[in-house]
Amino acid sequence: MPVSSFIAAANTSEIPDPGSMLVEVDERLVVLIHAAGHYYALDDVCTHDGGPLSDGLVEVQEGSRIADTTIADTTIACPRHGAKFDALTGAAATMPATQATVAHEVKVDGDQIFVRLSDH
Amino acid sequence: MSATLATTGFTQETFDAFLAARDEPDWLSDARTAAWARFNELAMPTSREEEWGRTDIRLFKFDRYSLAIAAPADGIAPRALLAEGVQLGGQSVSINSHSTEGGLSEKWSKQGVLFGSLDRLVAEHGDLIRPYFERQLVSTGQDKFSALNAACWSGGTLLFVPRGVQIDEPLHALSVMTDGGIDMGKTLVILEEGAEATCMAETASSDASGGGLHCGSIELIVEKGARLRYVNLQNWGSGVWHFAHQMGHVAANANLQWTIGALGSRLAKVNQHVGLIGQDAEVQVNGVMFTQGKQHLCYNTHQHHKAAYCQSDLLYKGALQDRSRTVWRGMIKVDEGAQRTNAYQRNDNLMLSTTARADSIPGLEIEADDVRCTHGSTSGRVDDEQLFYAMTRGYTRQEAVRMIVTGFFQQVFDRITIESVREALGEAIGQRVREL
Repeated sequence: MPVSSFIAAANTSEIPDPGSMLVEVDERLVVLIHAAGHYYALDDVCTHDGGPLSDGLVEVQEGSRIADTTIADTTIACPRHGAKFDALTGAAATMPATQATVAHEVKVDGDQIFVRLSDH
Repeated sequence: MSATLATTGFTQETFDAFLAARDEPDWLSDARTAAWARFNELAMPTSREEEWGRTDIRLFKFDRYSLAIAAPADGIAPRALLAEGVQLGGQSVSINSHSTEGGLSEKWSKQGVLFGSLDRLVAEHGDLIRPYFERQLVSTGQDKFSALNAACWSGGTLLFVPRGVQIDEPLHALSVMTDGGIDMGKTLVILEEGAEATCMAETASSDASGGGLHCGSIELIVEKGARLRYVNLQNWGSGVWHFAHQMGHVAANANLQWTIGALGSRLAKVNQHVGLIGQDAEVQVNGVMFTQGKQHLCYNTHQHHKAAYCQSDLLYKGALQDRSRTVWRGMIKVDEGAQRTNAYQRNDNLMLSTTARADSIPGLEIEADDVRCTHGSTSGRVDDEQLFYAMTRGYTRQEAVRMIVTGFFQQVFDRITIESVREALGEAIGQRVREL
């Protein structure tokens, strides 16, 4: 399967820190998350009931679960039932979600945010 | 017909041109204009509405489509699955909501039966059709899509069977859409008192992976003592957005058997309602769904008992593979006066992959106190022991899976009384099933 390329999705000035923004990338709805200076991209789908995540609250916790990085733990909460998802990996962090949502690769070049869609 | 406008989207300019290109009675033009105003007033549905909460249409954009004012260049009609090997009483074909061919056996036309393009027949028999039209089984203001269909329907199918006429040959309507095209079909079936008919409607894309927009409606009027068998096979290309409102009204002592096959489209949102409006009316609803890829099919069914001593029986069965999703929301509504109602609804789902998802939400709303209303729902995977057993008997894994899937659907196939429909659905599903 061919690897998809990075696609310009938004301008850095469009998303406050912490905050999120819904974008459409190649016929897919993606929520861009800006937290503690980092950018993340997740499918705009809560795996609990399929609702959108994009109006959800972004939370940053001090410290990191991931070794050898300075990235703080960041989650976005589904506005319907409160399920939280890890912004970096898409993993379900709290009930009622039990399955990960899809995470996409992000890079920032200048003031432009680019997203490479996952094949999932 | 005027030339196609370059403008895309559903603008006042395109609507005015659409209306000007039509030769219709004033009452119909007025109804279209009122519906158009409603379309512009209504907002797009959002996931905050319960009915749309599990169906995300944010990627659907009206401005990517345009009203099909001019007839399309000749398109290649795909194979009509339901009509194979069947002696038909009449046939109607449309491409992108423009009628291209059709005919009704003289045997039936002599008895006053009308069948074919609604466009043509409403112009020729406006006075006869108007009262049925104005019953508005599908409410114009139900949502933005019902309003759009009421304003801009074209092509479409009409079946009118006069009092007491019993048609013993099926009638077949095929609606075809070209890639990127639009189908705004409206189907109106009217069976007067004591009439009988079988009508098979089928939709398909000229390209199996083609895109497009279907915004349609179906209205079935089954008068006192009449019997209708109606089949609707949705087999659009995998890129089509399918929005439909479907409503049947069944009068006293009348009978409706309504079978739905849902195989195609990228996303389908369908409201299928039946109203039992006279005593002793009977309705049987059969649904067969098969989804694959990233398809999303959402069916909202509603069995509304408005009169006493009626019976309704709904069975929807779906098989899902890949990352596809189905949503079925069923409601049995029994009015206060509808005593001695006997109503049932059931939805079964067979999960052929771990990444597919089926949401099954049955519901009851009962205001009478002497009724029998029940419902059930099951979702499960293919049993590994059944697979193993079949393979020890010499079947390949894929053959075994196909056999199990066919067996799963057999319960609903057994209820379908038209052989060509059973065979067409079985063949279409068999072709889609892949090895687990």
